[in-house]
Amino acid sequence: MEVTYCSDPGGELETALRSTASTASVEGVLLLATPDPTVRSAAFESVLAAVEVPVFGGIFPELIHEGERKDQGALVVGLPSEPAVTTVSSLDDGASFGDALDASLPAAGYETAFVFVDAHASAIESFVDSLFRTYSVGLNFLGGGAGTLEADNEPCLFTDEGVVGDAAVVAALPESMGIGVRHGWQEVAGPFRVTEAEGSTLHALDGEPALSVYSGVVADAADTAVSRENFFEVAKSYPFGQTRMDGEQIVRDPFSVDAGGSIDCFGELPEGEFLTVLEGDPDSLVEAAHTAAADAQAGVDSPAGIVCFDCISRVLYLESAFDRELAALTADKLPTVGALTIGEIANDGTGHLDYYNKTAVVGAIESP
Amino acid sequence: MTDRQQRIQALYEISLSIGPKESLEATADAALSGYLTKLNCSVGAIFQRFPHNGDIDYRITATIPASPRTNETLTAAIDELPATDTTHREFVDRLPIAGETAGGSHYYLLELPEFGVLALGKRGGEIDRLTRSALTPLNEKLAEACRSQLIESQLRTERNRFEAVFDAIPEPVANTVIEDGVERVTRVNAPFEETFGYSEQAARGRPIGELVAAPADHPRADGDGGSGIGPTEIRRETADGVGEFLFRRVAVDADAGEFIHHYVDITAQKQRQQEFERYQRLVENLPIGVYRTTPGPEGEFRLVNQGLVDIFEGSSKADFEELSVTDIYVDPEERKQFSDQLLEQGSVEGVELQLQTVDGNPIWCEVSGIAVEEDGETVFELALQDITERKERQQQLAVLNRVLRHNLRNGLNVIRGNAALLADGVDRELRSHVTAIEDRIESLEQLSQKAGTVRSLFDQGREVNSRCDLAALLSEVAADFEERHPEATLSVGEVGPVHVRADVRLKLAVLELLDNAVVHNDKSVPTVSIGVSDSESKPGDGWVDVSITDNGPGIPEDERRAIETGEETPLQHGTGLGLWLVYWTVSLLGGEISIADAPSGTRIVLTLPRALETTRVQPPNADS
Repeated sequence: MEVTYCSDPGGELETALRSTASTASVEGVLLLATPDPTVRSAAFESVLAAVEVPVFGGIFPELIHEGERKDQGALVVGLPSEPAVTTVSSLDDGASFGDALDASLPAAGYETAFVFVDAHASAIESFVDSLFRTYSVGLNFLGGGAGTLEADNEPCLFTDEGVVGDAAVVAALPESMGIGVRHGWQEVAGPFRVTEAEGSTLHALDGEPALSVYSGVVADAADTAVSRENFFEVAKSYPFGQTRMDGEQIVRDPFSVDAGGSIDCFGELPEGEFLTVLEGDPDSLVEAAHTAAADAQAGVDSPAGIVCFDCISRVLYLESAFDRELAALTADKLPTVGALTIGEIANDGTGHLDYYNKTAVVGAIESP
Repeated sequence: MTDRQQRIQALYEISLSIGPKESLEATADAALSGYLTKLNCSVGAIFQRFPHNGDIDYRITATIPASPRTNETLTAAIDELPATDTTHREFVDRLPIAGETAGGSHYYLLELPEFGVLALGKRGGEIDRLTRSALTPLNEKLAEACRSQLIESQLRTERNRFEAVFDAIPEPVANTVIEDGVERVTRVNAPFEETFGYSEQAARGRPIGELVAAPADHPRADGDGGSGIGPTEIRRETADGVGEFLFRRVAVDADAGEFIHHYVDITAQKQRQQEFERYQRLVENLPIGVYRTTPGPEGEFRLVNQGLVDIFEGSSKADFEELSVTDIYVDPEERKQFSDQLLEQGSVEGVELQLQTVDGNPIWCEVSGIAVEEDGETVFELALQDITERKERQQQLAVLNRVLRHNLRNGLNVIRGNAALLADGVDRELRSHVTAIEDRIESLEQLSQKAGTVRSLFDQGREVNSRCDLAALLSEVAADFEERHPEATLSVGEVGPVHVRADVRLKLAVLELLDNAVVHNDKSVPTVSIGVSDSESKPGDGWVDVSITDNGPGIPEDERRAIETGEETPLQHGTGLGLWLVYWTVSLLGGEISIADAPSGTRIVLTLPRALETTRVQPPNADS
C-alpha cells in the first residue's frame, strides 16, 4: 500500500497522483482529501481524468495519517489491484438502488469494497440496505459519509465519473480485508419506545415529547439540564442506541432540537422500535477503537496496511483524549490512513450491514 | 439490558416488519429484512411451497442476498429443502432445522405454517435456542401475512382478469352494486359509453335505471333480465335514439348485491327481422305463386307461398308436402324437360306450362326462376303466374281473327265482283255510288291487312335484342315514301350515327305515320319532315326523339285522346288501326309516343331507347 500525504494539494497533489499511479505495483488510487479549494476546483476533474489508473475516494472534515489528524491536505493511497468502481447517483431519491449495483462482483473474485456516500444525501440508509440486499456478506464493506460539517452541498466524492455529490461510490477490490467495528458507548437508560417519528426526526418516546424524556435521562445521568441552547454540547455525550441481537447497539447521534421538543438525529428512527440512551467515557471509547483495530488485524493473515474511518463526533466528544484513540487505531509498522467521517459504513463479514454514527470502523488490507 | 429484554425487544421489532404490503414479494421482503436486521443475520430467504407433479416445490419469494446460491450459508440451507413429496413430509417433521456449514456459519430453517419455510443464516455466531423458539409466533404471523397476501394477490389477479374481460367485451356492460335499495353503477366499459352516452366518470354512482331508461312512449313491461333464466329483449333509450337489446343481469356476488348488466344491441337484427317479416307478408300475399323445389323429374316442394296454394286450389301449404312437383304437371315429361332446361341454363323466364290443380283441373301457367346452390345442393327458386285466362283469350282472339279476316276477305271478294258487274250496268249518275262501294271495299281490305300486321307485331313479342341505325332506316323510309307518294314531299333532317334499340317493326311504324300524314292531308302538296334529336322528355344520353311533322289538318280529337290515354270507349274511339299500330309498335320496342300540334299541322314524336354498343345491328329492311 503506497501512501503519500500532500500537505498542500495545490502544489503537490497532481504530482503525487501521477507518481503513485505510475508505480508498477499500483493499479488503483484511494484519494482522501480535506475540503481544499484545489480538489473542489473544476480543473481538478481533468487532473483526475489524466490519472492512468482508477481513482476513487472523498472529501472529509479531517484525515488520519500515521497516528495524526490532518485538517488539511490529501492522502494518495496506491492500491495493488485495479478496483471495480461503481458510482450510484441520485442519493436523494429513496428508491431501491439494487439495479445500479453489480451483483456478480463476489463471483468475479472481489472480496472487499470501499464505500463512500455524500453524508448529506437523504437516502443513505436505503442505499446501504440495497448494498446488503445485493451482496449480504459476499463483500466486506468499509467506508463512511463524505462532505463537510458545514453541509455546503458541494461535490464530495471522487468517482470514475468525476467529482460528484448526492451520490455514492463503491470500489471493489480482490484483496480480503479484516474489519473491526466498535463504538464503546454504553446503555444508560431505556429502552424507550418510539411512539412518533418522521424519518430521522424523533417526536415522542413512550408517548411523551422526545426532548422531555431525553432531558430526564441526561439530568439523572449527568445532573445537567438540557436546553435548546446547550443541546448539541450535551447530546454529543448521550447518543441514542438501537438494539440488535449479538452485537453492539447501533448509535444514532442527536444533533439538534426544535421548539416543539423534537430531536433531529443522524439516521432513521422507525416508529414502534425501541431506543436506549447511551453514554460514554473516554476510556471505553478508546478501548473500543483499540478492539476494532485488533479485530481488523485479526481478520487477515498478513496485513499490508490499515484504513480507518472514525466519526468526527468522537473527536468532538473525546477532545484531547482523541490522541489516544488515534494511537489505538494506528498499527505498529503498518501504514495507517483514514478519515474523520460523518457517519460510518462497515460490516465485519458476519452480520447485518448498517449505517453507523459515532463509531470507529477499521480495515486491515491483506498483503497481495 | 438483559439478554431476555434484548430478545423481547428484538422480537417485538421484528413483528413491526411483518404485515401486508403491496404484494406478496414486498410483504416477504420487508419481513425478511426485519429478521435479518434485528437478529443480526447475514443472509436469509423465504420460500413458498408449491405442489408440483405430485411433489413439492419450494420457490423463493424473498432473498438476501439477491443471488442466494452465491452464498455458502444460504446454499447449505437451500440444500436442506426436500425434492420429493416423501422427503417433504420428513422435512416438515424435522423443522425447525439448525445446521452448520464447513466454514462455521450457522443456518436455520423455520416452518411458516401453510405457506413455506423461512431460512436464516449467520456467520460468526448463532441464534440461540430460546430465540429460535420465541420466533414461532412471529413465523406464524409472517405465514398468515403471506397467505393473506397470496389470497389478495390471487383476488387481485382475478379482479384484473375480470377487468380485462370487462373491458374487452364488445357489447355494453355495466357493473352495479345495490346500496340502500338502489342499484348504482360502479363501472361501465367503453361500448356502454358509446351506446348510452355515459362515460365511467359520468355513470359512476348513478342509478342504472337513470342511465339505461325505457323510452317515454314505451311501457316498462319488458322485464329486467334479472330472472337468471335467460336474456330478455328490451327497448331502451340510447345516445342516438332508441335501441333494441338482448339484456341479461348476472349476479357477481348476490349477497353483496353486485351485478353485471350486459346489453347485446339487436336493433339492426330486429330491423332485419321486421324487414324480413314484411317481405314474407308481401310474398305470401302476392297473387302469383312463389316456391322452391328440388330439381329432377319428380322434384320436391321445399317452400310454397299462399299464392301458389290458391292457384292450385289447395286447402293449405301442407297439401304440397304430400305432392311431388311432377304431380302438378299434366305431362310428367314436360316436368323433366323444364327441370333439365333450368339446370342447363341456370334461369328461365316466361316458360308457359300446362299444369293441373291438386284436384286435377288443368291450368296454364307462366313460370320464371333460377337454379341456386344452397348447402351443397341445387334448388329451384320459382315464380309462377296463372295465365289460363289469358291463354283462353288468346285462343278466342286467334279464332275470331282468323274467322273474321277469312270471312271478311271472302265477303269483300263477292261484293267487289258484284260491284264490278253493277258498274257495267248502271248509268253515269249511279256510277258514283258503285265507286263509293269499291272505295269502301278497298278500305276494309286495308283494314283487314292492317289487323294481320298488328297480329304479327304482337307475335314477335316485347323482346328486342337488336339495334337499328336510324340514318339507314330513314334513308330507306325516304326511298319507300317517294315510291309510294310521288305527289308528296318528304324532308329528312341530318341524322348522325344514332342507334336505337329496335327491330324491323320501327320502319313499319314510321311508314304508317308517313302514310297517315299524306293520306289524311288536305293540302295540294302534302309535306312531311322527319327529324332526329336527343330526347326532350327523357334523359338525352339514353333516349332519342324521332319527330314526324306534317302540314295536314291534324289528328281528330277522339283518336288523339284514345292514343294518349291508351284506351277506347264506345264514345271515344278512332276510325282505324293506323295510330294504334304505331302506338303498339313503339310500346313493344320500349318507347313512347306523343302528339303535339305543329304551327301548320301535326307533330308526332317517337321517343326510343338508345341501343347499347354490344347489341347486334339489324338491317332496317329485314322484313322486306
